[in-house]
Amino acid sequence: MTVLQLQELSKTFNGISALSNIDFTINEGEIVGLVGPNGAGKTTLFNLISGRLRPSTGKILFEGKDITGFKPHAVCKLGISRTFQSSRPFSRMSTLHNVLTGQVFGKGFSLHIRPEDEQMAHELLDVVGIAHKAETLAADLTLSEQRRLDLARALATRPKLLLLDEVAAGFSPVLVKQAIKLINRVRERGVTLLIVDHFLNLSLKVADRLLALDHGEKIAEGPPNIIMRNREVLRAYLGMRYPDEEDD
Amino acid sequence: MSFFASKNTKLNTRGLKFDSVGLVTGLVLLIILPALVKSNNYILQVFTHALLLANLALAWNILGVSGSISLGHAAFFGAGAYCSAVLSLEYGLSSWLTIPLAGLLAAGLGLIMNLICLRLRGAYFALATLAFVEIPRVITDNWDELTHGSLGLVSLPGLPSLSLGTWSVDFSASIMASYYFVFAFSLVLLGLVRFLFNSNLGLAFQAIREEEIAAEAVGISANRYRLLSLLLSAFFTGVSGACYAHLVRYIEPGLVYGLHFSAIPMIFAICGGRFTILGPAMAALIIYPLDQFVFHPLLPAGHEFLYGVVLILTVLFLPAGFWGSLRKIF
Repeated sequence: MTVLQLQELSKTFNGISALSNIDFTINEGEIVGLVGPNGAGKTTLFNLISGRLRPSTGKILFEGKDITGFKPHAVCKLGISRTFQSSRPFSRMSTLHNVLTGQVFGKGFSLHIRPEDEQMAHELLDVVGIAHKAETLAADLTLSEQRRLDLARALATRPKLLLLDEVAAGFSPVLVKQAIKLINRVRERGVTLLIVDHFLNLSLKVADRLLALDHGEKIAEGPPNIIMRNREVLRAYLGMRYPDEEDD
Repeated sequence: MSFFASKNTKLNTRGLKFDSVGLVTGLVLLIILPALVKSNNYILQVFTHALLLANLALAWNILGVSGSISLGHAAFFGAGAYCSAVLSLEYGLSSWLTIPLAGLLAAGLGLIMNLICLRLRGAYFALATLAFVEIPRVITDNWDELTHGSLGLVSLPGLPSLSLGTWSVDFSASIMASYYFVFAFSLVLLGLVRFLFNSNLGLAFQAIREEEIAAEAVGISANRYRLLSLLLSAFFTGVSGACYAHLVRYIEPGLVYGLHFSAIPMIFAICGGRFTILGPAMAALIIYPLDQFVFHPLLPAGHEFLYGVVLILTVLFLPAGFWGSLRKIF
């Protein structure tokens, strides 16, 4: 079943094209990696899907419903959640209350804090491995813990589709391994994932498919091992001619 | 420090206990104050004003908690004062009716302020609110038939009276009665602020203060909740203005729209602790009497320098406010 469908999606900033004519489909239960060099348009695409930016042309369909131009909070309520490239915790709130906020506002709204919400928030902190920091102020967490918090807060909104923006950027190999475990755990919860991954340290290992962008255009899509041998992708990343061409 | 209540932490439990102790002590002292000072009219009058300013600070902080620093609350205060004064003086309405109507008018003004300042944040928002005060002030100043312009309005009806069966009390009859009237308003407002901040609305207000983009990403409509906090804040500031009008029974535009009533709640809220429930009210109840009893006799012309000094010292040494800092220690 199709979860997300992008139809000829374009975005221009003051006449400069950031994304042009992106057509793409994500199916339920998939993990899709969004790759491409700096400035390829990965974060712009995220901002379009999550409602932070309005597309210049084109359509975004979520579960068949046209959500083009929806505001971020409305997009979240429908079931799309995201993390941020540099995490954005609610600094002067406790870790638990950060997650609780997602739990309370992600879908409906209740005026009173329900015990089951608090329970769920604790569980999510456990899932991402920072349950022992529940009462710490978010500002006092380490950077890796803040990324985990970002993830827990996004999960707390009970998304069907989760957009992860560079969750593992700058992570050591050990942390990347943990991140892979975490992502698989998220998938087991029935969440479809779209992962922005500039350095490819995550998506090559967990993604079912990759979508490669360069200069705002889709240059390839397909399984990771095939994409990684795609000449357009190699050229975009490495800036050199495909070895076979040398022989021509 | 987060003011938000949570039951299962050492840090917060201590803060909460400290809050309860402070609250109970404060309330008991305020209740028995008239007996303590043997109904000394001057002292009671000062504390009546201190309570009124505490209400102003509590109301200001409803907006403050969601991250907006307003320098324009005199707009709501003045509009509330004039609304209640005109309605009761010219149309003879009971102040039981005109005081809440004053709150509604102020909230309406808050709606207009929200439309103008919707996209502004931080210092830009603060400056726009500072300028915003001019709108109701100029209208009041020039609408002579209704407000008598800069002449002001005199001999306003006093605070209302309450009768239940055979028992009745006139809140304008004595200073002690007025004192208890304002005190009752403080209790209602404090209860409401506690309820708001400890409910999930408190989470939303804090979240949009801390990180607006992330708040929207978890399903919070930042504009809607910011508007809600502004409307509530404006409403209770308007009600405070109306109380002021009936308490002092004399108002003029320069007074009720003055910078004084914009700056004072902000100073108390910041000194007491913007992220605490009790801090702003505590600061009003300590600093204002200190000003009136100690500094005013010493320096009749420049006693208000105290507010500047206290504000600077707080920002430099106790950024969490004195109540916020004390909560962390105890």
